[in-house]
Amino acid sequence: MTVPVFAIVGHPNKGKSSIVSTLSRDESVLISAIPGTTVDNRCYPMAVDGEVLYELIDTPGFQRARAALEWMHSHTGSALERADTVRRFVEEHQADPRFDAECNLLAPILEGAGILYVVDGSRPFGEDYEAEMEILRWTGQPSLALINMISDSDHSEDWKKALGQYFRIVRVFDAMTADFDRRVQLLLAFGEIREEWRAALENAVRILREEQAGKRTLAARVIAEMLARMITHVRRHRLTPDEDMDQARATLLQEYKQELAGMERRCRDEVEQIYNHGDLERQEAVVQLLGDDLFSRQTWVLFGLTRQQLVATGALGGAAAGGMIDLAVHGASLLLGSGLGAVAGGVSAWLTSDRIANIKVLGHPLGGEQISIGPMRNINFPYVVLGRALLHHRMVEQRTHAHRGPLELASGMQQLQLANAGTRRRFEKIFSRLRKQESWRADLVSSLAGLIEKLDEKE
Amino acid sequence: MMHSSLLGDLIELNELLDAERATALEERKQRDRRIGRKLQHQRSKPATQIRAWLQASGDSAAHKNGLQGNRLYHALCLALVITGLITGWGLSSAVLFYDGNQPINIVSAVVVLVLPQILLLLLWLLATLPVKLPLFSNIGETLGFLNPGRLAGHLAGAFSKKENTGLAMLWDPDNVAILAPAARWLFSFWSQLFAFSFNIGALAAAFFLVSFSDLAFVWSTTLTISNETFHQLLATLSTPWSTFAPDAVPGLELIEKSRYYRLEEGSLAADAAASPQLAVDLGHWWPFLIAAISCYGLLPRLLTLGISWFRLRHHLRKALCNLPGAPELLARMNSPLVSTLAVQPEEAHEIASNPFSGKAEASRYALSCPVVDWSGASHNPDEITAQLGNMGIETLEFLRAGGRQSTEQDTALLTNLCRQKLEGIGILVKAWEPPLLDFLDFVRGIRRQCGPKKPVVVLLWGGKDGITIADRNTWQVTLAQLGDPDLHIETIGQTV
Repeated sequence: MTVPVFAIVGHPNKGKSSIVSTLSRDESVLISAIPGTTVDNRCYPMAVDGEVLYELIDTPGFQRARAALEWMHSHTGSALERADTVRRFVEEHQADPRFDAECNLLAPILEGAGILYVVDGSRPFGEDYEAEMEILRWTGQPSLALINMISDSDHSEDWKKALGQYFRIVRVFDAMTADFDRRVQLLLAFGEIREEWRAALENAVRILREEQAGKRTLAARVIAEMLARMITHVRRHRLTPDEDMDQARATLLQEYKQELAGMERRCRDEVEQIYNHGDLERQEAVVQLLGDDLFSRQTWVLFGLTRQQLVATGALGGAAAGGMIDLAVHGASLLLGSGLGAVAGGVSAWLTSDRIANIKVLGHPLGGEQISIGPMRNINFPYVVLGRALLHHRMVEQRTHAHRGPLELASGMQQLQLANAGTRRRFEKIFSRLRKQESWRADLVSSLAGLIEKLDEKE
Repeated sequence: MMHSSLLGDLIELNELLDAERATALEERKQRDRRIGRKLQHQRSKPATQIRAWLQASGDSAAHKNGLQGNRLYHALCLALVITGLITGWGLSSAVLFYDGNQPINIVSAVVVLVLPQILLLLLWLLATLPVKLPLFSNIGETLGFLNPGRLAGHLAGAFSKKENTGLAMLWDPDNVAILAPAARWLFSFWSQLFAFSFNIGALAAAFFLVSFSDLAFVWSTTLTISNETFHQLLATLSTPWSTFAPDAVPGLELIEKSRYYRLEEGSLAADAAASPQLAVDLGHWWPFLIAAISCYGLLPRLLTLGISWFRLRHHLRKALCNLPGAPELLARMNSPLVSTLAVQPEEAHEIASNPFSGKAEASRYALSCPVVDWSGASHNPDEITAQLGNMGIETLEFLRAGGRQSTEQDTALLTNLCRQKLEGIGILVKAWEPPLLDFLDFVRGIRRQCGPKKPVVVLLWGGKDGITIADRNTWQVTLAQLGDPDLHIETIGQTV
């Protein structure tokens, strides 16, 4: 079976490259308002593990269609010869720079590619399109016309009337706003122009749908990971003896906020990468809602133990050692060994703890005064972060690759409002466990990712 | 590079996935799918796939850190084993201390060496229950720091250069949602390793003392317990080993012989000295003691150690698949590599950026000239004529070119026009259509046939939608390629 090939042709600046960019999910396609930016054909194969299912070919726009058609008219006899005449035109003008565009765009069609003729439905139909449509008709290849709505005005009805005379299938398609379903619908429409291509395109659509579902799952997972990290994040700082506490606390808070913002940024980057929008420029305010809810405390630590824990550990160790003496004398010591051992262990732990804490191993002290911020206790915080993440995800998922401006995320809180009480309870249960850093049994991130995915599907 | 331990692989994977973010996604997709296709037979074993991926694509720095983490883990294991052995030996030696004067009370020995272990084992079971009991949970939280496994973890954390790398990544708060179960079972494994070693140490000490000294065991109580009752109690306690080690079940005769009252202190010692048989009989308690420590100390700890080890491996495997970036990696390995991108980079035609040499601003003209309607730009000549009049252009006549006209007709039109003594030529075009080479040919034709210096005014007509700045720019940039100083661009109608 031959691989379906589609040549995307038309007038310059009518959105051919935008359509190719959207369908091929390729940001590298040059989209310019200046006619003649696309000078060579460029192939965009859809390959699955190296096996090509179909190919799109972006072509330069017609530049001298009238002259080309006049040549063809003057070199043809009957309607039977038209396709051959077009072929002869390309062969004879291959080296003629005047007809570079026409030869380039007609070449794949003459090799069997289907024609996807693109016009701008937001601008009026004009007689200057007739020559190129006529040439395309002469090729005798299966064809489909796409009315691309570049701006707000709508002249699509006029276009449909005109295009209907040259093309069997006419579709309206907005390359800038088409969501995933519209994109696959268009691909399925490509299959309608030639019966033998239908199966390949249906297969391609099936694979793309599976891939899209996989992307949603991954994106939900990435968002869940970010949420879990942001909620559980703790920032610690070991104080030096001469360090100003307030200054250290302010610095720590600043670092904590930056780290949260960094986690959010990283999540955004990953979601964009999942949807092949790796180079997207983003405009978004940093998440707020931190203020007074931050949990900040000061502790003394050694080996990760607080002073009380250390003393208790020392006392227990001393008691155990003393207990052996008690046992050895069969209790004749009246547990004096344990008691004295506990006291000795506890007191020595108390007295020596500071000295041990100041010992530097591998360049850093073993213990000392420590301040910490986190985990995030604000109960609204996860909903704000989740609301922002879901909004970003939806925008990225729906964004086509023809769209080249920055992604502008609305500022403000965007707190997630959950109408369903059951869903809200399930979310709160997970958030609460994360806040308490309880994750001994269930895989909270997986549960959270599942909830997010369901929520995203519903919305 | 695969480590012998999952832990080393987890540390390596964590570092590698973090470093991987700098690699282009497309490159990662292709590489991971290539590796994934070779591992399709292991699709149902994601952790194995990931470990194989590590082997195929690991870098030396991450591998080194994985090895270091692994070494630290083994060092802590060894430290706990040694501490456990010493503690067990020490405690057992203290309990079984016998200098020939005071025989060892078997009840005390069992109470010290076996009973606490049973209690601790019950606590361990409670801690591992799938349901959470608040009271025990709180106790666990409060006393958790006394857990030797946790202490080992704290110690490892204290010597880590960074909180979130190496072995310390397991208890980094940022990773709690994913790695906490693995960390928990690691602590449990370390604790059970300590406890197991403790029992080995206790048994070793007991064997040593039994082998190289004479021990005398007695039993003693103030309670009114008959020998028969005590025998029954011990028989019940010995049930687990009574069938395959009957010698380790104290008989009634031994119990009767070894009952000890301190009032008679000295007489037993004297008897024992007098009767070597009694000394031998009193030593017969050791199989029971060894069996009790083995059955209630060593074997359960072996079991809990095994459970902890298996649970640790299970959670480490899960963590391997759940680390941030790992699900994406698995998806890249196991999903078909769908590529829709262009194979070759695009070569764009460089449009000369020379500024437009013609006049691009609205200006007053004093021209009487014909206006060529290019490709049927307007169907309302009167409106155009009126607007041109406002600009100072008097329309002599409306002519048609482009569109449905043939190129021959265009040439004939120009030949005709240029014969006349014209002040200039206006060309009315659709602003929304970009200037094609066909149009540029026409403009060049005017210059060729009518000569230079004659003003040619390109009149951009926006129709009812008006003219956008982008459209106007397109015309300016494109016409600038002609380098014609007498080519003007004017807009008719509103600019939007």
